[in-house]
Amino acid sequence: MNVAEFRAGLTAWLDENDLRPGPEHSLDAHVEQLSRVRRALYEAGWMRYGWPASVGGLGGPAVLRAVLGEEVATRGLAEPGIYSMIEVLTPTMISYARPELAAEMVPLLLGGREQWCQGFSEPGSGSDLASLSTRAEQRGDEWVVTGQKVWTSLAQYASRCVLLTRTAPGHAGITAFFVDMDSPGITVRPLRTMHGVDEFAEVFFDEVVVPGERMLGRPGDGWQLAMDLLPHERSACFWHRVAHLYTRLDRLLEETSARDEDAVGAAYLALHTVRCRSHATQRRLAEGARLGPETSVDKVLLATAEQRLFDTARDLLPGVVELDDTPWRTEFLYSRAATIYGGTAEIQRNIIARRLLDLGKE
Amino acid sequence: MTVDAAELDLLAETLRKTMATHTGSALDTALRELGWAEMLTEMTDETVPVVFRLLGETGAHAPLVNDVVLHASGLPTGTTVPLPYAGGTWVLWDRADGAKTSAGSEALDGELPLQRVADGNPVPLAEGRRALGWWLAGTGRAMLSLARSHAVDRVQFGRPLASFQAVRHRLAETLVAIEGAEATLRAAEDDLGCLLAKAAAGQAALTAARHCQQVLGGIGFTAEHDLHRHVRRAYVLDGLLGSASELTREAGALLLRQGSAPRLTQL
Repeated sequence: MNVAEFRAGLTAWLDENDLRPGPEHSLDAHVEQLSRVRRALYEAGWMRYGWPASVGGLGGPAVLRAVLGEEVATRGLAEPGIYSMIEVLTPTMISYARPELAAEMVPLLLGGREQWCQGFSEPGSGSDLASLSTRAEQRGDEWVVTGQKVWTSLAQYASRCVLLTRTAPGHAGITAFFVDMDSPGITVRPLRTMHGVDEFAEVFFDEVVVPGERMLGRPGDGWQLAMDLLPHERSACFWHRVAHLYTRLDRLLEETSARDEDAVGAAYLALHTVRCRSHATQRRLAEGARLGPETSVDKVLLATAEQRLFDTARDLLPGVVELDDTPWRTEFLYSRAATIYGGTAEIQRNIIARRLLDLGKE
Repeated sequence: MTVDAAELDLLAETLRKTMATHTGSALDTALRELGWAEMLTEMTDETVPVVFRLLGETGAHAPLVNDVVLHASGLPTGTTVPLPYAGGTWVLWDRADGAKTSAGSEALDGELPLQRVADGNPVPLAEGRRALGWWLAGTGRAMLSLARSHAVDRVQFGRPLASFQAVRHRLAETLVAIEGAEATLRAAEDDLGCLLAKAAAGQAALTAARHCQQVLGGIGFTAEHDLHRHVRRAYVLDGLLGSASELTREAGALLLRQGSAPRLTQL
């Protein structure tokens, strides 16, 4: 199936099958809606394109997933941030889980039966992820995990967790597991956030027993697993997010009465720039390129564009963020995090300086 | 006629050598001998970006934007045509060197034979904007390269400037701007795409000028260092066929008129 056929079939199907969300704006409702959308798209087959048959997919190029996500974002069917989590979780399972485990589990995620989370960051390990200290100790065929994760998106809804642990010193001492969230010893405490959507949580692990067969890759593969996520996060996920931001620019154009051509033009130019860059990244990926540090450029462009767009919205809809309880407030506040999550703007610039400009060590 | 990647690399190599030793009307002549007219008419999408980017990277100049605009107008190349400049004004880019009018109206970039003229006739803009966008991106790369070398070589407080995060982040920001602009240039097909690409490229070159000038410190402010030539060129080229700020405003006006944001690049 090529992009044009896929898009035509998908849009016709979505026109026939109304998956638009209800009026409820709570996180519970968003997550429920996400499950509903995934389930419907999976059962109709659309969610299965671009994934290999070994995990229940129907094959075809990965770009079909970007097309699907763009359509979901453009129609506002699911919150784009949590929708796109499949783009990092599924490739991780394909690359690192035992084939039987991936075949068993991935359809549960893609089919909207389960939510999963990623246990990466810790209170002491944010930008410096490799310093993480959640411990996993081997006991016979099992591993026993003790420690704490934080900023774990959707942990309170998740049935499973892709968890990074420390099994030895250094980068080569990080080991990943696929952990059932109902295992004894796991406590989830949602965090209140600035934008009022409690989408992430602290997760405590107190002597949690994980079967050895749930290890992702081999002992010490965890850092590589985390690095391998980036190209996925920065291809289809970014394309989805850009599509979402265009819908917000459209909404701004509908709602504003200010005729500020400079501000609107600048917001549009920033979005257009990241769209073009993201498009080129998708194409390189499709041609078989291995994505690397150059995707930090995409990340900086996206975060900058997102913040500029919502700064512009706040300027051109005076008082709406400050005085009215509308989605603009939530989304404006959430945009403040765009230069923090997924690697801060500073970390991205460090990577660009070191790896792309070859400036040597700091 | 099509041209493959290997042929383009070969062409770029030849062009780079030619531009290293020729500039102005001499380069104009040399490029004509290399087949510039055919490049423009028969493989413009492939070759124009290479030619203009290399003008920027090498710091050479030639009056080729005339040809791009003339060709887009369906007119013979090799002459001149009044070109719109920022603020609704007009300029002429002479094919001869050193064509300067009365003192005081010389261009900021004194190497360019560019002068104000009273007016001109409307010309097609998209192709010229895309070409100049590539020139600006190349100029940005030239400045970044100079600043990078300086940051790596220059030692203060017992360590290279490049080891200071404030310096590194300025250079990183410059690369982001240039690569973003290049993405818009590669995607530029229609009028709006070319307008946006010229705006992005102008903005990138101005960003490069600001950060690279700062990183180069005192030496970058002297005439004996090459930086000032690229900085001057960036400012002058930004205004030609519409400045970044004017084009950005024009895009904003279009969006406000039509009430939605065009998605120009599709998967």
